[in-house]
Amino acid sequence: MELNRRRLLQLGLLGVAGTSVAATAACGDSSSGGASEKKASSLTMWYWGGGLSKNVVSSAVAQFPTPKLNAVEIGGDFKAKLLTTMNGGKGMPDITGVKGEDIASFYPQAKQFVDLNTLGADKIKSQYLEWKWAQATAPDGTQIGIPIDIGPTALFYRQDIFAQAGLPTEPADVAAAVSTYDDFFELGVQLKGKLPGHFMVKDLASLYNIIVTAQTQFYVDKDNKFIGDQQHIRDAWDTAIKALTLGIDAKISDGNDTNVGMTKGTLPAQLGAAWAGLDIASGAPDSAGKWRVAANPGGPANIGGSFLAIPKSSADPEEAFKIISWILSPENEAKGFADASLFPAAPAAYKLPELTKPDPFFGNQVTIDVFGPQAEKIPVAFTSPYDSAVSAPFFDELSNAETKGKNPDSAWNDAVSKAKSVAQRLGVTV
Amino acid sequence: MLRYWPQYLAISPFYLLFAVFGLFPVLFSLYLSFHRWSGLGERKWVGLKEYDFLIHDHTFWLSLWNTLIIWLMSTVPMLFGALVIAALLHSVARGKSFYRMAYFIPSVTSLVAMAILFKMMFSSNFGLINAVLEAVNLPTYPWTNTPWGIKISIAALMTWQWVGYNSIIYLAGLQTIPGELYEAAQIDGAGPVRTFFRITIPLLRPVILFTVVISTITGMQSFTEAQVMTASNGATNPNSGGPGQGGLTMVLYFYQQAFSYNDFGYGAAIAWGIFVIVGAFAVLNWRLVARQED
Repeated sequence: MELNRRRLLQLGLLGVAGTSVAATAACGDSSSGGASEKKASSLTMWYWGGGLSKNVVSSAVAQFPTPKLNAVEIGGDFKAKLLTTMNGGKGMPDITGVKGEDIASFYPQAKQFVDLNTLGADKIKSQYLEWKWAQATAPDGTQIGIPIDIGPTALFYRQDIFAQAGLPTEPADVAAAVSTYDDFFELGVQLKGKLPGHFMVKDLASLYNIIVTAQTQFYVDKDNKFIGDQQHIRDAWDTAIKALTLGIDAKISDGNDTNVGMTKGTLPAQLGAAWAGLDIASGAPDSAGKWRVAANPGGPANIGGSFLAIPKSSADPEEAFKIISWILSPENEAKGFADASLFPAAPAAYKLPELTKPDPFFGNQVTIDVFGPQAEKIPVAFTSPYDSAVSAPFFDELSNAETKGKNPDSAWNDAVSKAKSVAQRLGVTV
Repeated sequence: MLRYWPQYLAISPFYLLFAVFGLFPVLFSLYLSFHRWSGLGERKWVGLKEYDFLIHDHTFWLSLWNTLIIWLMSTVPMLFGALVIAALLHSVARGKSFYRMAYFIPSVTSLVAMAILFKMMFSSNFGLINAVLEAVNLPTYPWTNTPWGIKISIAALMTWQWVGYNSIIYLAGLQTIPGELYEAAQIDGAGPVRTFFRITIPLLRPVILFTVVISTITGMQSFTEAQVMTASNGATNPNSGGPGQGGLTMVLYFYQQAFSYNDFGYGAAIAWGIFVIVGAFAVLNWRLVARQED
């Protein structure tokens, strides 16, 4: 083919046309972009894989034919994609999931969401656990979301290994024997004495996280003031360090090694949220039937659990609210537990057959008997948008004490001073 | 210039895409690095505060140290190994293309998949590495649970991935060395090892310097290896670099600040800090090359 001016021109134009077509296509799939339209023809809902029960989502699609519900499973980093789209202002979903660990970071931007109380959320508030509902209430009073699920914590343990070590074996007895962390560590010392190479604590970070999370405030308080150097954090730190000095910490942060330890029984105890039971089942399938669940030491905490929210740009907030309140009804949350192990945030679901069924992985224990009361005992807590960034130095220094043999006191001092400087940079009063 | 407008138009897609996806983000990140911004809402001008924090941030210097150590532990064995492999490939008589392809495959394999595989190989309890150590009666080591172990694991992955790529480049260099030189060396009674060090390496010097420069630039920006190998199940303290932050590279630290903690202003400042450091190394390399050519 001979290249002449006309041919080049055609090619060039084709290229430009191609780019602009791609650009319009990228912007064009918005269902909310046309703000001038009164009636939306469809509503888009974003969620992530495993974030909602697929069965419930497909029945919602059948249930709400007009406007058509278009449920999209978003892969990759969900929050980054949501944030980017919010910044662009185009192609926003009409309903979106918000992960529990991200909800606080949206507090300062609560005006980006519809206050669900204006749509009648206050009327269904009593269906859900008070502390979980409060997590989606921004400090300015905006109700950002309705809870999908929660992550109440418990102690998962290997009954057979506990029996070999002469420790209590039945869930109620274990719970009674580990009411405080000191008691729990005492069992850890006994375990290691009887069965050398067996550790009660996997690593300090997961232990420390549960102790801190059981509190009602963390590193930054409601008045945006740094409180990470106060007694409640220091106590949690000292408790974690005690596990290290007693020598009952396995110092394992790697997931593969954790799975091996759980399968072999050298890590016979896991402190974790309800969903951690899934990780144990998939990581150590050979140990099925040997695990049990008991209330964890020092009071229950919550780790994770997400929300559905309606962005301000939603084409039809009222219809969107109808959809999410249907998806998140107690009955459908119970289905979410059966299909996707999403632990319901609506306590009415705890009495439904999906939850009261014995679980063969836990030797046919009815785990809701443990998780249900734990879930209802969790206190209302305040999470600051800056908590996660400010907490990082504590975890880093804990790991230094654990893996580098750093002196715990100097690790604490470094953690506090680093956390203070991070807090200062983020505009928190120190 | 006007006379050539069709040509410019023809190549314009590149410039348009570069302007949108290359130039604009670069300039915007510079602008961001003078602000505090959570990704939504207003950007607060803070002047040079982010950079001031960066200079005093122990974690950033730790990440630089980690990056340099991992770079050193991966590049030295990688380039040396590549030279040896290239020399072997050069002398192989049969199945030349098979061997070349086999050594090249790691550099076009999915990095995430390989990182997961390496993480398994270095596992304390059932990993291949510890199994081999045990078989020859050497003590095992908790590779993925200690700060030094995780560095070595990451360096091993980087070595494995790029050794074949570099050996192909060396092989190309080797093929330009005239055979008479080797014949002369043989006649003078030099063995293969002596020939390698006295003839092959000196004549390959420009190629070696090229690979050193490329390895420096990629090694300084290592991210995926560290991110995947130090990833843990928990959502607490994500992307912090594993045990004792031993696997926290500079780019991983940037990623953590910008995308885990939504601190885009500080993230941008870290990115520019990395740019300055990589730039300094590039200048250093260039100086070395220039001196060699004098």
